Amino acid sequence: MSIENMTLLTGRTISQGVALEGGKTTKENVRAAAICMFDKEDFKKLDCIVGTPVKITTEFGEVTVYSTLTEEGPHPGIIFIPMGPWANQVVNPQTQATGTPTYKGMKAKVEVAKSAKVLGAVELISQLKEA
Amino acid sequence: MVQKKVKTVYDVVCPFCGTLCDDLEVDVELSNQEVLEVRNGCQIGTKKYFSSNVSPHRFTKPMIRKDGELQEASWDEALDKAADILVKAKRPLLYGWSSTECEAQGKGVELAEILGGVLDNTASVCHGPTLLAKQDVGVPTSTLGEYKNRADTVIFWGCNPVHAHPRHLGRYSEFVRGYFKRDGRNDRTIIVVDPRYTQTAQIADMYVKVNPNEDYELLNAIRAVLRGVELDVEEVSGVSYEKIKELVEVLKAAKFGVIFFGMGLTQSIAKHRNIDTAICLTRELNDHTKFLITAMRGHYNVTGANTVFTWNTGFPYSIDFSRGYARYNPGEFSACEVLMRDEVDATLVMASDPASNFPQLPVKTMFKYPLIAIEPHKTPTSVNADVVLPPAIAGIECEGTAYRMDHVPIRLGKVKEAPNGCLTDFEIIEKLIEKVKEKKGE
Repeated sequence: MSIENMTLLTGRTISQGVALEGGKTTKENVRAAAICMFDKEDFKKLDCIVGTPVKITTEFGEVTVYSTLTEEGPHPGIIFIPMGPWANQVVNPQTQATGTPTYKGMKAKVEVAKSAKVLGAVELISQLKEA
Repeated sequence: MVQKKVKTVYDVVCPFCGTLCDDLEVDVELSNQEVLEVRNGCQIGTKKYFSSNVSPHRFTKPMIRKDGELQEASWDEALDKAADILVKAKRPLLYGWSSTECEAQGKGVELAEILGGVLDNTASVCHGPTLLAKQDVGVPTSTLGEYKNRADTVIFWGCNPVHAHPRHLGRYSEFVRGYFKRDGRNDRTIIVVDPRYTQTAQIADMYVKVNPNEDYELLNAIRAVLRGVELDVEEVSGVSYEKIKELVEVLKAAKFGVIFFGMGLTQSIAKHRNIDTAICLTRELNDHTKFLITAMRGHYNVTGANTVFTWNTGFPYSIDFSRGYARYNPGEFSACEVLMRDEVDATLVMASDPASNFPQLPVKTMFKYPLIAIEPHKTPTSVNADVVLPPAIAGIECEGTAYRMDHVPIRLGKVKEAPNGCLTDFEIIEKLIEKVKEKKGE
């Protein structure tokens, strides 16, 4: 199943903050930041259980993360990925001549990707080196 | 059983976020310099102290990449290699700086000038637009203590301090009892403007749900209504006209108001224009009552990085020394911009993790060229670096100065020794400067 035309926001969560201080190479960091938070009603459309990997695609890239329900909703039409390496694969790098990339408000497509692998931070980023 | 010898350090300043809490207590085991307990800190600050302990995630010796693998090296060898990379580069980028202390930042400016490189701090991916807006229209602001003691109306716009600045609400802005706000939370009206019903919004008195990327329109609608203009619309940015009028009445009724704002304004479309308008709204509210505005700064010393860079070069971030003097243009010289245009040929990262924090396009370019990381921990940046120089962690293992989000300088303390006698950020940059000068024949 998939949903299109969602608005992707990114930002700090306390778990992501704790995980980045606790070790960026750890599984805790994956649990805290390699996730996409959905509004309850949007998530129903995906017809999968919480925790199922989902592929997020924007015009700037794609990334696979675990799905989860938001605690900061309702926010129908909006998905949220905590700031960090996973979110940054799909954010808009354009800065509108301010130097600051546009980390919020990208149009995104979400697809259930049950068998896809969610990579660790180093694995994910090191791909950019090889590419 | 061996008796533990523990020292407790009081009034410790936390080097995590721009709130710079100064009341932590840290227990350190003397024999092995291990942090055993942290009191008063938030979850994130506490974790930072624990992660200073020696672990598989921490570098304790310099590393150099040989045959594709990071291998241990002596300090002299690693510094020499780093200096080599910097001297050979035509246009090196020196990025980061916000999670170290001011003295090291000052040395960083000196190194960038000697190298003729590009110098940028992490403001360029967070509150850079705020700095541009301040340069455009000025800023009516104050220290956090004034807000604590006087503010009766507090707006959090595009920020979520419950998650990002966990103790801000308890120390300065929401729950704390102030000199003229004796009843703490009950004496304050809290308003949150955000596209998501954040946990900060869930404990507010008024929540305004704005559409993503439409803050600029909403701010201007509020300004118009404040000036007495009748709007011929039913809603602006997803907010009903009725709600906007209600909000304006609340703001006008305030005796002392403050707007705190975060990435929701700076990283959305319109960037610095959002902040321009928020500052203008604040200024116009002063026709009716007292209102001020403050940015919720992230890294504990990003305000210091802006301040130190400014007093050394005249500019707060995104500075280019390639012509031998400082030039400033964030749209041209910010780290992301120079990387996306493939303009740099080496990067030195100080106390930051751009590989995690930049969009993928600039990271790809950064990885094409030699990379030096001055970084205590294993991060996507440091494990991909060619040279890793592991420092003592500022504010935990060495002293220094940091600027709180309201520009109050606070002295960071030292609570424990760094493992393996790691050099401080200041010492590392100082030694790099010596080596670079030597190699350049100066």
